[in-house]
Order: sequence, then structure tokens, then C-alpha cells
Amino acid sequence: MCRLCEMYASEGIWYLDAGNFAHQMYKLREPGGKPQQSSESTASMGGSLLKEAIEAKCDGNEEKFSELVEQINERDKMYATCHVLPLKDALAVMDIASPVAKMACICRKRQRAWEEDSNTYSCLGLGTGMLKWERWPERYRGGVEFLNPEEAKEFLIEWDRKGMVHIIMSEGQGFIGGICNCDYPDCLQIRHRLDYGINYTVTKSHYVAKVNYDICNGCGVCVQRCQWGALKLEVTTQKASIDQFRCFGCGLCQTGCPRSAIELLDRMSLPALREVW
Amino acid sequence: MLMPKIEIDYSKCTNPMLCKKCIQVCPTAVFEIQTLKMERLKETDLGDPDAFKLDVFYRDRCTACNDCVNVCPVDAIKIILPEATRP
Repeated sequence: MCRLCEMYASEGIWYLDAGNFAHQMYKLREPGGKPQQSSESTASMGGSLLKEAIEAKCDGNEEKFSELVEQINERDKMYATCHVLPLKDALAVMDIASPVAKMACICRKRQRAWEEDSNTYSCLGLGTGMLKWERWPERYRGGVEFLNPEEAKEFLIEWDRKGMVHIIMSEGQGFIGGICNCDYPDCLQIRHRLDYGINYTVTKSHYVAKVNYDICNGCGVCVQRCQWGALKLEVTTQKASIDQFRCFGCGLCQTGCPRSAIELLDRMSLPALREVW
Repeated sequence: MLMPKIEIDYSKCTNPMLCKKCIQVCPTAVFEIQTLKMERLKETDLGDPDAFKLDVFYRDRCTACNDCVNVCPVDAIKIILPEATRP
């Protein structure tokens, strides 16, 4: 069972539940009152603990590394975090969330000093918070640009074509605030999970990819699109081979396949993968 | 397992957000930009020399290839190998 659906959905997938987009973003303040200081986010707390863990690993202290990673995981599993979703689900979210705005990616700025402008924005912000982001661009990453649902869908399709994984972002209590288009190593969540076992920072999707060997001709397009190291060209059979235990169900292999030889199965339909998130 | 140490001379490396050379050349993306000045409700000025710091976050990924050392225009990066791996 998906931990996030257990916590935040009455039925179906949690990110298709409109209630999770309807968080009260604006709090009334007494006239003359001071704004609440926001506490340090869980992500940055995770960052400093992870740095300590990496330093321990570099100094040869594997035991301390494992202890710290376990400590981060114990804390993260109490919270809603990020969830991989395939293009078709990301498109469905565009009909639920409003307003939708494109904005600059914060991970790429941190990892590669990558600056995005309105021509290169790669992230989508969702919900009423975006009105605040548009109003005060100097406060929020240089502002945002609103998209109607059709434009937002085209935006997602374009990033999918380029080979970015879609990840839906939630903030602590299940409120959904965005959909990012991500790749390794620039995405903090993907990187921290794959390289260090920070396992709750990004959850695998509700789907698992499967190759239809009768249709696959071994062209290898899908292999280049997998961010997770789950796909290879099997030399013996000359077909794409997916390690379904490593597969995150992002669907990039499926949307990229020129012969439609890959399908996404419901994770729950595979008994051994039901608890692999 | 002992990993290389990366030393950065912060008197020479003052604004990585304007330079970006090492952070974009690194094959394993070892570096990270830290934002030192975080004022509530204010976007940090990219040109502010005290606002950003180059941090070696993913030290375990460093292969000591020296690409960052060679690309640095102000000679601010030094990679120190642990004794056991020195040629």
C-alpha cells in the first residue's frame, strides 16, 4: 500500500484528490502583528544531517553513515514527501489544480548554479500560493508565469519529451504545491535516494514499466531515458530489459518508445512489488 | 575507505553564482551552492559577493580528476589525496 495514499487519500491516488490542493495558504494576521518566522524546513534539516553522514562515510566511518541515514529515514516517513508520477497522471493533475504557474527550479540552482528565466522555466507551481509568487517576484525566485490547463499540459509534454521525470511535491501535511521536471544528479530528491538511501524523500510511482518482447526491436531509445539505472539493452535477446525492482514507474521509457512496446502496470497488480515504494 | 579532501580558499572564491565554472564542469556534481544571506520575503541578489558560498557537499563522489582545479580562474581549489592513495 502506498504510504502517501494511506495518509492523504480517502480513496484512489492521493494526488488525484482535489482536497490535497486546497490548503489555506493565506493566514489572517492581527493589524500591526509580526509575521510568523517559518521554522527550518525538513529538507534543509535533512541536508545538514546528510552532509554529516557523507563526511562520516568519507572518513571511513560506515557505521555512523548508516546510523545517520536511518535517522533521516525515520523522521521523513512521518511526512508527505515527493512522489514520482507518469505523464498521464501529471496531465490529469492539470485539470484539478488551479492556478498553475511555471517557475525556476531551485535544485538546479543549488547543484549546478543553473539559472532559469521565463524561456527556460522547468518547474510548475500549483495552487493559490502562486498569486503571492506573481505579486512579489523579488521575493520568490524572480516570479512566475501563469499557464492555462492546456498550456500547462503542453509544458509537461515538452519536458517529458526532453527526458525529465515528473515529481509531485508536497509540503509536510499533504498539501500539493508543485510538479517538478527532474533528472539525476541535479534533482536533490532523486540523488539523495539513489546515492545515499534517503528512501522517503521521493516515493516510487503507482506504476511499474514492462516491455512487450513481441514488439520491442531493441532500438535502445528507452535505455537513454531511464534516470534510475533500471533499464539496459539485454545483449542476448536484443530487447530492452527492465529491472522492475529498480523501476520508479516514471514512464519515461514508455512515452519515449517509438513502437509503443512498453506499458505501465499498476504496482499493486504485482504481488512482490506491492510493498516496494 | 578514505576519500580525497577538497579545500576551497574563500578569500579567492567569492561569488560562485557569477563564476559557475567548477560547479558545471564537475563530472559527478560534487559541489553545491549555499545561500548565506536569506532575508525573509526577499530574493537574494545574485551579484552580492557575500550571499553565496561554494560548498563541497558530495565529497564521497569526488574522483580527484582535478577538472575543477584546472578550470578555476582564481586558483582557489585544492584536492588533497589521502596518503594511502597517493602515487
